[in-house]
Amino acid sequence: MTALLETRNITQRFSGLTANSDVSIKVGRGEIVGLIGPNGAGKSTLFNLIAGAFKPTEGQIIFDGEDVTALPAAERCQRGIGRTFQVVKSFETMTVIENVIVGSLVRTTHMRDARRKAHEVLEFCGLGARADVLASDLVPSEKRRLEVARALATEPKLLLLDEVLTGLTPVESQKGVELVRRVRDTGITVLMVEHVMEIVMPLVDRAIVLDLGKVLIEGKPTDVVRDPKVISAYLGDRHAVGA
Amino acid sequence: MDKAFIQRRRRDLVVAAFLTAIAAVVPMFVKDVYVQNIMVLTLMYGALSQSWNILSGYCGQISLGHALYFGLGAYTTAILFTKFGVLPWFGMLSGGVLSAIIAMALGYPCFRLGGHYFVIATIVIAEITLLLFHNWDWAGAALGIDIPVRRDSWVTFQFTRSKLPYFYFALALACVAWFVTWWLEDSKWGYWWRAVKDNPIAAESLGVDVFNSKMGAAAVSAFLVAIGGSFYAQFVSYIDPESVMGFQFSLLMALPAVLGGIGTLWGPLLGAAILIPLTELTRSYIGGSGRGVDLIVYGGLIIAISLARPQGLVSLFSRKPKPAANQVREAVAS
Repeated sequence: MTALLETRNITQRFSGLTANSDVSIKVGRGEIVGLIGPNGAGKSTLFNLIAGAFKPTEGQIIFDGEDVTALPAAERCQRGIGRTFQVVKSFETMTVIENVIVGSLVRTTHMRDARRKAHEVLEFCGLGARADVLASDLVPSEKRRLEVARALATEPKLLLLDEVLTGLTPVESQKGVELVRRVRDTGITVLMVEHVMEIVMPLVDRAIVLDLGKVLIEGKPTDVVRDPKVISAYLGDRHAVGA
Repeated sequence: MDKAFIQRRRRDLVVAAFLTAIAAVVPMFVKDVYVQNIMVLTLMYGALSQSWNILSGYCGQISLGHALYFGLGAYTTAILFTKFGVLPWFGMLSGGVLSAIIAMALGYPCFRLGGHYFVIATIVIAEITLLLFHNWDWAGAALGIDIPVRRDSWVTFQFTRSKLPYFYFALALACVAWFVTWWLEDSKWGYWWRAVKDNPIAAESLGVDVFNSKMGAAAVSAFLVAIGGSFYAQFVSYIDPESVMGFQFSLLMALPAVLGGIGTLWGPLLGAAILIPLTELTRSYIGGSGRGVDLIVYGGLIIAISLARPQGLVSLFSRKPKPAANQVREAVAS
């Protein structure tokens, strides 16, 4: 079976700075893939390129057998790419349910259906009781869930999660991990950017490590964390020797 | 499913019907022409502000140039009637369609501008158009257009003996503008507009066509405002550039919405119901030589509102925020 998402030789330069250089990755259907790497590795850039926030300097992005490199973010959403934002971007003057309805309107224009779908998604994400609260009144962990709920309401094939588990308390992040698993169990492929390795590693099927804009290594999480190249990228060469 | 929501929507409709019924019988008891005049203007500005609110309140694209569409509506009707004998009803429709098209043509470059630049562009474009009309001889230039008075009739939409027909038309217009807003509020467009206002980048990631959302809001808003302009031309039966396209009209569309509650269903009408009578009364009682006392009143009201009720007067009627939300927040913070 072909990959759901494939990037071919993606290079992204920002006036002299090369954030991604010749990045080719594949994400298969039904996988949870972790995109990890130290600060400045180019994770967020690659993530934004896949979501369509901007276009790559070079290379192609193939989604579901179609070249989507030139498509704007809204059309990628229609084709089945949902995303969250690292810095949450709730619609603050709207209630929680209204936030999610915006997402579900991609698939239907019947308000009754859109509203029902939004309620389902909120229940799924554990926000059912907060439906009529203003988004600005949510606590940070709830806002993260709202980001996920909104994206799920668009019925994505691929869900891009940008550091949804970072900065949460242990209990909250455990709940987050469960949520991601349940999302995958509904048949949605997940690509998640995470900074904190110990949260992601038990969750993902496969990890792709970026360093200095390039793919350093990819493979099973247990293999990846032991790889000397990864340890050296995170901690410096001195520690890699010891491993 | 979601009974509270459906109930709230129904309640809005019932309240609107009730208020319309009350407004409709008021002229039976209020025979004073001066007061009737104020009532007509209040309803008209309520309708205009409601229309302005669609683009600037719901979609968040603040326009201070809506006088342009008001003027276009007035001029289209007056020119078609005086030069081609076209009845004002068709003039009204033509003015509305023309304004909607122009709003989209202007929106095409302007909606790429962010924040304050967009506001400035709307002011500048309206002022330029005002100057063009000042110098356009065929359209009467600075002298304007005198709409010839014939006998009172709904066909020509002219009434010299009574203000009542104008009152009922203005009431109908306010109802239409309110109903359009009510209907759009729970539609794809309504949600898209509010999403665009709150966070365009997030909106885009959820499949919202941000640019076309703005274009749609601009077209609906301009169309309704132009209908108001056509009505005003018939009401005063004499127009010149300053009296239908002056900057004060842009302000008088924005202020009621700001006062009552920007981006809310009831805000513009509530704001107009307070602001317009107050303006007219100060103008006639303490105005006299001191033109501009009404402006001081506006200024004072806006300052008072922004200090005491930044969400607008309408928030006085909405239910209080649940204390539970704050408790949770404090619990988490501690």
